[in-house]
Amino acid sequence: MSRYKKTIIGTALLLILFVLSCLYPYYAPIDFNHQILIRDEHGKVIDRAPFPPSQEHWLGTTRNGEDLHLVLLYGAKFTLITAFVVAVLRVLLGGIFGMVLSLWAPFLKGYFKDFFLTMRYIPAILVAYILMLPVAGAPNDVGISSIVTYQIIILVFIGFPSVTLFASDLTDELLKTSFVQSSYLLGASKLHIIKRQLLPYMRSYGILFTVQQILSTLQITMQLSIFYIYLGGQNRAGVFGYDDASGNPKPASLSNEWAGLIGQNFTEFVLAPWIVFMPLIGFFFVIVVVNMIKKELEDQILGVQLMKRKRKKKKDGQLPVNLSPSSEKFDFIQ
Amino acid sequence: MKRVLRSLIRIGLILAGFFFIFHLPTLFGIGKDSVEIHGNIFWMAVNSDLQSILQIMDPMYLRFFKELEIAESYQYSMTILFASLVVIIIAAIGMALLILIVPEKVRNRLKSGVNFFEAVPDLLIIFLFQFFVITLYKTTGLKFLQLYGMFGHKPYFVPIVTVSFLPMFLLLQFLIRVMTEEQSQPYVLYAKAKGIGRVRTLFIHIIRNVFPLLVLQLRTIIWVLLSNIYLVESLFNINGFTRQFFIIIQQGGDFTSLVLCLLMFCLPLLIIEAIGWLLSKRIKGKEAISL
Repeated sequence: MSRYKKTIIGTALLLILFVLSCLYPYYAPIDFNHQILIRDEHGKVIDRAPFPPSQEHWLGTTRNGEDLHLVLLYGAKFTLITAFVVAVLRVLLGGIFGMVLSLWAPFLKGYFKDFFLTMRYIPAILVAYILMLPVAGAPNDVGISSIVTYQIIILVFIGFPSVTLFASDLTDELLKTSFVQSSYLLGASKLHIIKRQLLPYMRSYGILFTVQQILSTLQITMQLSIFYIYLGGQNRAGVFGYDDASGNPKPASLSNEWAGLIGQNFTEFVLAPWIVFMPLIGFFFVIVVVNMIKKELEDQILGVQLMKRKRKKKKDGQLPVNLSPSSEKFDFIQ
Repeated sequence: MKRVLRSLIRIGLILAGFFFIFHLPTLFGIGKDSVEIHGNIFWMAVNSDLQSILQIMDPMYLRFFKELEIAESYQYSMTILFASLVVIIIAAIGMALLILIVPEKVRNRLKSGVNFFEAVPDLLIIFLFQFFVITLYKTTGLKFLQLYGMFGHKPYFVPIVTVSFLPMFLLLQFLIRVMTEEQSQPYVLYAKAKGIGRVRTLFIHIIRNVFPLLVLQLRTIIWVLLSNIYLVESLFNINGFTRQFFIIIQQGGDFTSLVLCLLMFCLPLLIIEAIGWLLSKRIKGKEAISL
């Protein structure tokens, strides 16, 4: 297993973060050490939130006077679980649909491409924004579960066509290989082909693809948050001290998930840069870890075939060569 | 006849797909605790929007196009797009050549540096640039870099640099890979055998042969650039095309305006795809003749 060292370490890191975040209510205050004003012993106000990073507030506090490291820890689970669930659903649905498309209805593939042609030309962020605006664009009273379900459906939908087409292309390529062809000749049914020939390939590609989709989901949730679309919808209270002229609060993320924290605080970086940079660095860290995993898996999965070929070449290349001229093989002319 | 029928079906499907995608919010109604599916509302919405498309000449629709400064802002956004495209191509080719010329030890280090930028989220870059410009202003008082698009200002320099930073590395990575592959081609060996220098082969022959691949890759680059431009325009508060587009959406603009805006958005992509198609056709044709 030493071949997958980086993958194991990366997954462990993310898992630890996730578990810590899930167990948050058991070991840390639920109000994130909420404190807006600091008073001296006479009761005079000497400072007010946001406080910069210090010994008491490791990563500083938000405008609501909450400790940022606690908020980040609390919100991490939503970010990670959404990215993971969306990626798995995309790959599962897209993979199954793509295989079915190539095996049973290859003539439909062109039509499928045409139907989702729009997605090829309009950047995903715009599609996602237009589709999510009616539901998550303003604070509303519907249950958070339905908002989240809707957002996950949309996020899965955005990635679905490209995954399906990729899976279908992959299946087409595998169907052309000699082992599948000979299987057909021996009278294998399509289900048998899927079970015996395609699934072993699909499993490794599926893992790789899931990691890639996690990456793209993370990116798109972050971009969406800039346009005030947060996972789980908006918080009614908004960001403290930021009401606009008509008294409406500035939109804030309800779930405190990382992308939302970035989006709601991106105007802060002149006055209190840590509020936006800490979540951004956290997000960057997650993306780097996932990317590291992806790189290694790519090297391993896509590299295996190359390595096999190279090894073969090496074996062929090692001809017994005897470079030193010996008198037995040549007649030396004196 | 069959071809005509087929293309008719295709156009119909593309339109159907478009309608389907952008009416998803009406299909999935939000219930109290779960998502419900409303077939009939979906149909009604599709029908009404279909009618509005058919009556496109009606002056009632496209109201926004007359009220907002669409043409001006579109011109601005596209200027940024093309300027950054030019910057990207020149910078990426220059850096790729540089990386391929330097000794191998340095090259590997540079390559891993380039690969590192693949993982950097675009927002981080935008924030860092913004932060850099503001701290520069705070510490030195120099205000030659204009950042925000307030009071009708339309900054060019900072948005172009910010927008083209990440795609440049994307293209650079691609170029390094392709050029390294190209170096193992037999003609490179032949050139070497003829006594042509490595630098000369690289600059004249390899670049020329890599060029079509570069054009094909530009589609991805433009794609990334476009989504970066939306982010930058919205973050820097610039009155570009994105702003107009969001105004249209948020004021509940009619479907026709939406369609037209989206078409305008993807126009650069369509152009670059057409160019790539022509180019690949030409190359294939040439190969067929030479064979």
